[in-house]
Amino acid sequence: MKFYRINALLLKTYYISKNSLDRIFDIFYWPIIDLFLYSFATLYIMSLSEINLLSVFLGGIFLWSFIWRSSQDIAVFILEDFWSRSLYYLFASPVTITEIMISTMLIGMIRSIISFLTMATLGMLIFSFNIFSIDILALVLFISIIMLFGWFIGIFVTAMMFRFGLRIQVLAWSLAFLIMPFSCVFYALSALPNWAQNIAVLLPTTHVFESLRSVLNNGPILWGGIAYSISITVLLLIISSVFLGVSLKRAKKTGLLTRYS
Amino acid sequence: MYAIEVKNLGKAYTHKGKKIEAVKGISFKIKKGEIYGLLGPNGAGKSTTINILSGTLLKDSGTVKILGRDPDKDSEYVRNNINVASAYYSLPNALTIYENLKVFAKFYNVKNYKEKVNSLLEMFDLKGIKNKKTSALSTGERTRVSLCKGFINDPKVLLLDECTVGLDPDIAEKTRNIIKDYQKNQGVSILFTSHYMYEVEELCNNISFLSEGKILKTDSAENLKKLIKNFTVEIDFIKTNRMLKNFFKEKGMDVLFMGKNTAIFEISASGDRLYKILNSLFKRGFKIKDLRIKRPTLDDIFIKISRGSVK
Repeated sequence: MKFYRINALLLKTYYISKNSLDRIFDIFYWPIIDLFLYSFATLYIMSLSEINLLSVFLGGIFLWSFIWRSSQDIAVFILEDFWSRSLYYLFASPVTITEIMISTMLIGMIRSIISFLTMATLGMLIFSFNIFSIDILALVLFISIIMLFGWFIGIFVTAMMFRFGLRIQVLAWSLAFLIMPFSCVFYALSALPNWAQNIAVLLPTTHVFESLRSVLNNGPILWGGIAYSISITVLLLIISSVFLGVSLKRAKKTGLLTRYS
Repeated sequence: MYAIEVKNLGKAYTHKGKKIEAVKGISFKIKKGEIYGLLGPNGAGKSTTINILSGTLLKDSGTVKILGRDPDKDSEYVRNNINVASAYYSLPNALTIYENLKVFAKFYNVKNYKEKVNSLLEMFDLKGIKNKKTSALSTGERTRVSLCKGFINDPKVLLLDECTVGLDPDIAEKTRNIIKDYQKNQGVSILFTSHYMYEVEELCNNISFLSEGKILKTDSAENLKKLIKNFTVEIDFIKTNRMLKNFFKEKGMDVLFMGKNTAIFEISASGDRLYKILNSLFKRGFKIKDLRIKRPTLDDIFIKISRGSVK
């Protein structure tokens, strides 16, 4: 692994972002839309009850943006090379798949942080909700696990694309949202029906959002759930990385890499 | 040590459940500083061979050595010292020409990348459009950008796959001259594939004819041309008659075509046979209006070799 090649890949994604308005647009547009959508819905629900739900909803959506942004950026920046038929030159160069993944993870992280800070600022200015009012170390811990899980989804989708080609590209946008209802982003695990709880409890994201709600309500971090989340997320990252390596090798064997180049 | 050494290379694909053998145990060696041509029609296995050498396709069987090393085991060294340009692949669409070349220069850790990129843009007449996005380029412009990318790291081995497809004839000629000059000045070894015989003949020291995944013949262009011993001679007469047919019959000539006023026949390229035939024609009073001698081209040889009429 060479850092100058990771720098070059970051430069490439910077140029893609700079030259494509939609790549800049989606850093701000969807997070801001989500912010207003969920805030207004929460304000309406709050007007019907006594419970303060604003922090739960906004905290949830702020953290969710990390999964969505980081998973999508990995897959979409790889998709750019599929669409341009430029995978061939990329893989004929000294660049390795590890360097490609690290650079897309980094760019995803940078873009996630920009989205998060935009939402956090607007949340503070418009709805007087300060996400930084909770313990900063807890916030960093939650964000780290959530982002790692986002990277797992991104790597998994990329591996699927090398395995099955562009016909499954829709996963790049949809897989994170398939997990969302079971991750208990806006509601407690106990609110789900039994069958859904059985699925939700297995997801590392569920435990992070449970802990977030606890901390937002001045409760403790639920360490048992967090330890489970970290272990499962790391395990999933390892499995998806192996799957990516196997898929890429298969793509080179079957000729998919040269067909989509 | 050879720049490229390929032994019994084999590759098959499965398409709709059917196995297609794209390359069937081919072997060839390319010396350092040599331009080597792989020549053949579409589907002959040229691009498959280049893709295996570039590391984007895994071989099924055989061995490959580039600069004396196994590219699978020593990919860092090999990939840093080779490059590839192809008419069939593109650089990222969202980037401009300059941005793409800068990014690739950085992949290869080119120290003086600004100078290098600018000199290549100049060389391939792309300086005026360097800020144009790759998605907006014509086929010919894309091919020239690919060639710039191929030269970006001053490779020791350069793989050029049909790299003049889509170029205007004058640009294609300029490109061939650049390749020749570059090879001469840098001593780079080049594997050049094309289905244009004249191109391969002009550029390559040695040529392999590839057909249906097999190498049919390997030699220099000069030696390959010697495989066909005859010239084709086309004569337009002012007026012909039945006597002319008899004349050729009497001389034992292989007449390919006899028209109202035209005769096409093959004649040995060596000795003074053509002189003698023409002399006899004059003596018998045949009046010649025009005469054309067609030397054998690599196309003729390829056709004859693939039909098995020349070995």
